[in-house]
Amino acid sequence: MRRRLGKGFWIASGWIGLVLAAAVLADLLPLPGYDETLVGPPQAGPSLAHPFGTDGLGRDVFSRVVYGARVSLGVGIGAVLLGLLIGAPLGLLAGYRGKATDAVIMAVNDIALAFPALVFALAVVAFAGANLRNVLIVLGVLGVPAWTRLVRGTTMAFAGREFVLAARALGVRDRRILWREIVPNVSVPAASYAFLGMAVVIVAEGSLAFLGLSVQAPTPTWGGLINEGRTIMENAPHLVLAPALVMFLTVLSFNVVGDRLRALTDVRQSGLEHVRRAAAQPLPTAPHTPGGQLLQVADLRTHFVTERGVVKAVDGVSFTLERGRTLAVVGESGSGKSMLIRSILDLLPGAGVVRGGKVYLDGDDLTGFSPKEMRQVLGTRLAAVFQDPMTALNPVRTIGTQVAEPLRVHLGLSGKRARAHAAVLLASVGIPEPERVLRRYPHQLSGGMRQRVTIAMALSCGPDVLFADEPTTALDVTVQDQVLRLIHRQRQERNMATVLVSHDLAVVAEWADEVIVMYAGKVVERGPAADLFERTRMPYTEALLQSVPRLTDPAHHRLRVITGRPPDLAALPSGCAFHPRCPYARERCVTEAPPLFQETREHLYACWYPRGTEAAVGDPVPVALGESGPADPVPVALGESGPAALGEPAAGPVPAGTDRNGSEPGGPEHNGAGSAGPDLKRPELAGPEGADNRGR
Amino acid sequence: MILHRLVRLLVVLLVVTFLSFALLALLPGDPTTQILGVSATEEARAQLRQELGLDDPLFVRYAAWLGALFTGDLGTSYITSVPVTEALVERLPVTIELLIAAEIVAIGLAVPIGVAAARRAGSTTDQALTALCFGLLSTPVFVLGVLLILVFAVKWQVLPATGWTPISLDLGWNITSVLLPAITLGCGQLAVYARLLRADMIATLQEDYITLARARGLSPRRILWRHALRPSAISLITAIGLNLGALVGGTVIIETLFGLPGVGRLIVDSIFSRDYLTVQGGVVLISVGYVLVNFAVDLVYAAVDPRIRHA
Repeated sequence: MRRRLGKGFWIASGWIGLVLAAAVLADLLPLPGYDETLVGPPQAGPSLAHPFGTDGLGRDVFSRVVYGARVSLGVGIGAVLLGLLIGAPLGLLAGYRGKATDAVIMAVNDIALAFPALVFALAVVAFAGANLRNVLIVLGVLGVPAWTRLVRGTTMAFAGREFVLAARALGVRDRRILWREIVPNVSVPAASYAFLGMAVVIVAEGSLAFLGLSVQAPTPTWGGLINEGRTIMENAPHLVLAPALVMFLTVLSFNVVGDRLRALTDVRQSGLEHVRRAAAQPLPTAPHTPGGQLLQVADLRTHFVTERGVVKAVDGVSFTLERGRTLAVVGESGSGKSMLIRSILDLLPGAGVVRGGKVYLDGDDLTGFSPKEMRQVLGTRLAAVFQDPMTALNPVRTIGTQVAEPLRVHLGLSGKRARAHAAVLLASVGIPEPERVLRRYPHQLSGGMRQRVTIAMALSCGPDVLFADEPTTALDVTVQDQVLRLIHRQRQERNMATVLVSHDLAVVAEWADEVIVMYAGKVVERGPAADLFERTRMPYTEALLQSVPRLTDPAHHRLRVITGRPPDLAALPSGCAFHPRCPYARERCVTEAPPLFQETREHLYACWYPRGTEAAVGDPVPVALGESGPADPVPVALGESGPAALGEPAAGPVPAGTDRNGSEPGGPEHNGAGSAGPDLKRPELAGPEGADNRGR
Repeated sequence: MILHRLVRLLVVLLVVTFLSFALLALLPGDPTTQILGVSATEEARAQLRQELGLDDPLFVRYAAWLGALFTGDLGTSYITSVPVTEALVERLPVTIELLIAAEIVAIGLAVPIGVAAARRAGSTTDQALTALCFGLLSTPVFVLGVLLILVFAVKWQVLPATGWTPISLDLGWNITSVLLPAITLGCGQLAVYARLLRADMIATLQEDYITLARARGLSPRRILWRHALRPSAISLITAIGLNLGALVGGTVIIETLFGLPGVGRLIVDSIFSRDYLTVQGGVVLISVGYVLVNFAVDLVYAAVDPRIRHA
């Protein structure tokens, strides 16, 4: 509690306590009376005897400020309590009952809020008489609408929660529910608002006093002291500064306490990971020689430094991509797919993120680029399309402005020419009546149309690599294929490379040349699409494949799911991150993380007991298996995992039982021991061959 | 939708005017004493009461008063014998100029501060600006005004502490005389606006379309000002409307503090001279103006957010 409230909270509370104690005990303090004249020389500055000096009549300013605190705090506390006593029951009623009660109370409330409060307070006090009681009542009543609104909002949030609904369904009496379930939950926001409200009331009382419309002389008030002091401000500025400082500190303290209390219930601050400033040590990066490929990613790592520890969102990913090819990145949500894309493009959120590894574009190291240099590459050579077209376009700018913008910024086209070109672009992605669409706003287009627009924007400056992060996930099934076809066609026409992030294996099988399977930020299997689907080695890939529903499944067929949840990246399981969910996990998987092994030159996997190999069915005693030399696959050194670094087709013995030439599909029937695990019938995915028939 | 808003506007206006009216009518005390003095005979008072319609039921009097209000008649001050409407119209331009100048100061400073703080949320710049806003938020407007007078008028003597030059007389002097009051009034709002804009801007900067704008290689400045500012400005516009009430309350203090001949000063002066009819007129003017401006703010949303415009 102490840590979450922060130091400021305690300092502010201390100040409030001090002022409150001084106000309450003013009569007992060894102070001159507040209206005792000539206790010192008039208009004298601060001294030991009179810490805030004396005023024009020689009265002690410190004493007057202390007695002034009585009025300020008295009105503050009194008015807030009054507002609470009237507003809170109304808010509870409106929030709990809802419907007509709520409508009536809130309608009255809205009207009340439409009043200029201070002017009204002024008029009422002026007409009814300026004294403590009237000021307190007026300021209290003016606070009612805000209290009602606050309590109603909180009550509503809790009245809909399960525990309240359950209590209601069980026939617990309303009064009991209100006191037991709702009031305790409303109390923290109410306490927070009480302090903020007191700050407001103290300022309002001060304003009235400043105008001479609060408690009348001789009783001192802070606002009154400042008003009196300003007439002789030139000669004795302390008369203004002392009460002003005390008042400022008091109001500030109430605001700080209220603000910190509010932060306690603030979901955004307590629920989300609070990202600390990066201890910006860049991750160590092994020296690396780029190959001749268009895009090469070498040992890319993206770590978030959070309060819970380091989250390794991307942890040592390597791949290469040639012009005209499509690489698919596959995995569940939270596996680091999207973060990989953002990491390559250097679009990570600023604070608390560290990136390591290298990204080469045509041999140029992008990780060494300055932000300005990077901006010249982004949009022109690298382009991106995101998952949700609903959020991918700026809602307040027209399509025309948005599509034309990169053309104007990067290609330097004039406004008119950029617009004309934008129309051509829209037409090229299959948007009918492009001229009209240019004048539209995003919300006026369908999801599919919007995604076409984002693709048009991504393609506008003729990029070399298109990153498509789940470009069809948020779209209707009927539109998905069209959009993928569009990306595919554009890739062929422009001879680009495409990185396609997806969790849809059917999509991947149809369009990808190469596949990366990611789990917990790491590559767990990677290879040419056909090979990977034919000879799946990593159990996670296998599970992904099995969880694809097929039309050929009988009706009411149980949908296969991967049991368990994706791991918490801040607290990864030991050994292989997949082992808690892996049906084949053995002891070694728990203790030791598998490196990437080679199946073939291009096909790599991270598993101690790869499927479809002898290792998978070997001795169930893990230690014995770990020591059974020949069956033990040899890891490929990390960091050199790019094919460019793989001089030899196989650096070590290939796991036994694997047919490297691929003449035999490595199905479970092959090794004859599939019965050891659950039914491993391979899903009949539309393989790349099938895809060829579909008009590649 | 528009109809719904109009109906609401009418209801609010009725309530606001009724309360302003009732404020005076329900007061203890007798206006005839004010007009005729304490020594007047009972018959003279009764006659005057009848002339003024004071014996009629409250709602009848309200209806009559409202009818007169529509013709712009708020009565004639018993004290100064000046028609209240005339006095208000004479003072109104000063208050309006002060309000506009204060909003210009507030928005003009709040937008760059909010944007700069949001750009690197959590950075030292952000923390410093947030602290500054928190401090300003905790400074009562009259405290700030007195301090600014102390620094700029008393110590440095670069700006006048009090006085008003109408815009029709001399533009330069007019600006000089409005500058300090406007800064004082604007600074309190500045903090409110900047905090709102910062929070909304931070939320907007998490949006996909901002990440994609970065992916298109656009500069941070372009993204902040052209892409992120407008979608983040909705709450700010609401706040500008809602805070007008606070701002109008502030003008009463500012005009008194800086000696500006505006509506707020007129209200305060009238309170002390017990010129209740003028006070009532001032409260009606401010309340109705406030309600109408809030209504207008509702309509401005549409211009900012096309999603509302086409809804």
